[in-house]
Amino acid sequence: MIARSRASRTLRTFLGWVVVALFVFPLYYWLTIAFKDGNEIFNYPPHVWSFTPTLRNFEEVFGISFGYGFGEQREVLPGGGNWRMAPRLWDSIIVAVMSTALAVSISTLASYALSRMTFRGRHHFVAWILSTRMMPPVAVAIPVFFIYKDIALLDTYTGVILIHALMNLPLAVLLMKSFFDDIPVEIDESALIDGASRWLIFRRVVLPMVKGGMAATAVLCFIFSWTEFLFVLTLTQTGLKTVPVVSSTFVTSTGTAWGSMAALSAAAVIPAFVFILLVQKHLVRGLTLGSIKQ
Amino acid sequence: MKIGVLSTDRPLIWILPLLAMLLAFTVIPLFYNIWLSFHEYAPFKRQLVFVGWENWQLLFSDARMWEALWTTMFYFIVVLSIELGLGMAIALLLDAEEFGFGLLRVLLTLTLVIPPAIVGMMYLLIQDPEFGVLTYVLDTLGILGKSTPILATSSLALWGVMLADIWQWTPFMFLIFLAGLRSLPQEPYEAAMLDGASAFMTFRRITLPLMSKVIAVAVLIRGIDIFRMFDYVFVMTSGGPGTSTYTLSLYSWQQTFSFIKWGYGATLSLFTLIIILVIANLFIALTKVRW
Repeated sequence: MIARSRASRTLRTFLGWVVVALFVFPLYYWLTIAFKDGNEIFNYPPHVWSFTPTLRNFEEVFGISFGYGFGEQREVLPGGGNWRMAPRLWDSIIVAVMSTALAVSISTLASYALSRMTFRGRHHFVAWILSTRMMPPVAVAIPVFFIYKDIALLDTYTGVILIHALMNLPLAVLLMKSFFDDIPVEIDESALIDGASRWLIFRRVVLPMVKGGMAATAVLCFIFSWTEFLFVLTLTQTGLKTVPVVSSTFVTSTGTAWGSMAALSAAAVIPAFVFILLVQKHLVRGLTLGSIKQ
Repeated sequence: MKIGVLSTDRPLIWILPLLAMLLAFTVIPLFYNIWLSFHEYAPFKRQLVFVGWENWQLLFSDARMWEALWTTMFYFIVVLSIELGLGMAIALLLDAEEFGFGLLRVLLTLTLVIPPAIVGMMYLLIQDPEFGVLTYVLDTLGILGKSTPILATSSLALWGVMLADIWQWTPFMFLIFLAGLRSLPQEPYEAAMLDGASAFMTFRRITLPLMSKVIAVAVLIRGIDIFRMFDYVFVMTSGGPGTSTYTLSLYSWQQTFSFIKWGYGATLSLFTLIIILVIANLFIALTKVRW
């Protein structure tokens, strides 16, 4: 490697920290909002480094008392966020977990076939899956809204779960295919010669070898469902709402409940943070739909 | 041993669930959308009536559509270029083992898991004209006073939205480029060093060509998402002030659901779909990206 002088190394270290600090700062600032009392949020100049921390916003959003005066009479705050929004976390969890399970199981079966079997039109099929990834959500949401209205799937868990699974299918199929492609075909072939069935090879031999890949796929599907906005906005009314859509309802004509919004989103982002830390190894492969391996 | 249905090579059975999902949720909606684009909701009759090519004629003569298309294109080019350049610069910067760089690389992945709608709200707060922290910084630096609220000024609003996008997705580019940099072979660099090539020449002549596939994939995936962007404008500006931040996605959504122009909204969304498919497939053909 090129020998670097001490000064240039110090400069690089310094620049690296400054750049990442710039990226982390908005997150830090958003987190301070979650721990600030209503009035302190509206201070100008903003209180960035020193403020009086409170759990009041979390009490407000989750309807649990942490001893910061939940339930007591307080001045009316602007915005529509309150503890009745808390069950929406469950909506998010149900939708994300179920749609992930659906997407991962459908795609695991399909991508095993795409990786192992030759059939006419296979390349066209892969191209079709990829072009599904290109569809603007709005071009799916508009017709699906009317179809759902006709078949009574509007504003239901099933409807949202199906559409989130669909949204994740291109990613899941291409990603799982790349994990299957990593495993030498000879393994399947020798087992086939030994008389094992395809299903048996899939279940007992190949599937255990792609467990890590499946976990990574599941995590990404979960995160994309967890963060999705347009489909839930369009296809739900009152029956269910996920966190991103609920957060946007905190903006009302009488003002915005910034504290509640920040508290709810801080809580909602934590599981996604944890999950993404678990799949660092496969993250780039996942983000590039399996085309770039780390 | 009992032989199950999946015992022999019958790929159709394996891909059947996938095929069913794709048929039900992409093919049928697509045809429904095409059908819808030849109809329009008649409020007095309370039903859809056939209007022929009217929606498509309207589309091409609609000044607001052209403005939305221009806004989408402008947003697409600016945001994609900045994320590409900045992502590459940060990848080159952090591709070293200096103090704490492992931690810094992990910290940069965090922006990716926040719902874009919530990022939009974060930047709405950060740029709030009354108490936003960015407003304070810019005011103190004397660049933009409190009297020029970014998101409420026609000429600036789109830049305010871009800021949220760039903040959230530059790390996406960074991660992919970093993985690309780390998989590069060492030999060309050793040869370049022996030849006394400058750092810039080494980057220009060795790193960039070797990274071309990685860059193409990152640009394709990010480009698709930038082009169909909806969340940020929806929560931050709703297309305003005036019509200065309407993207095609937002415009077609609003026509359908806010103005009950079901047929025209469908036409707009189809038009968006066609543009994305054309650009993306041209790009794939030109760069020879393969899956």
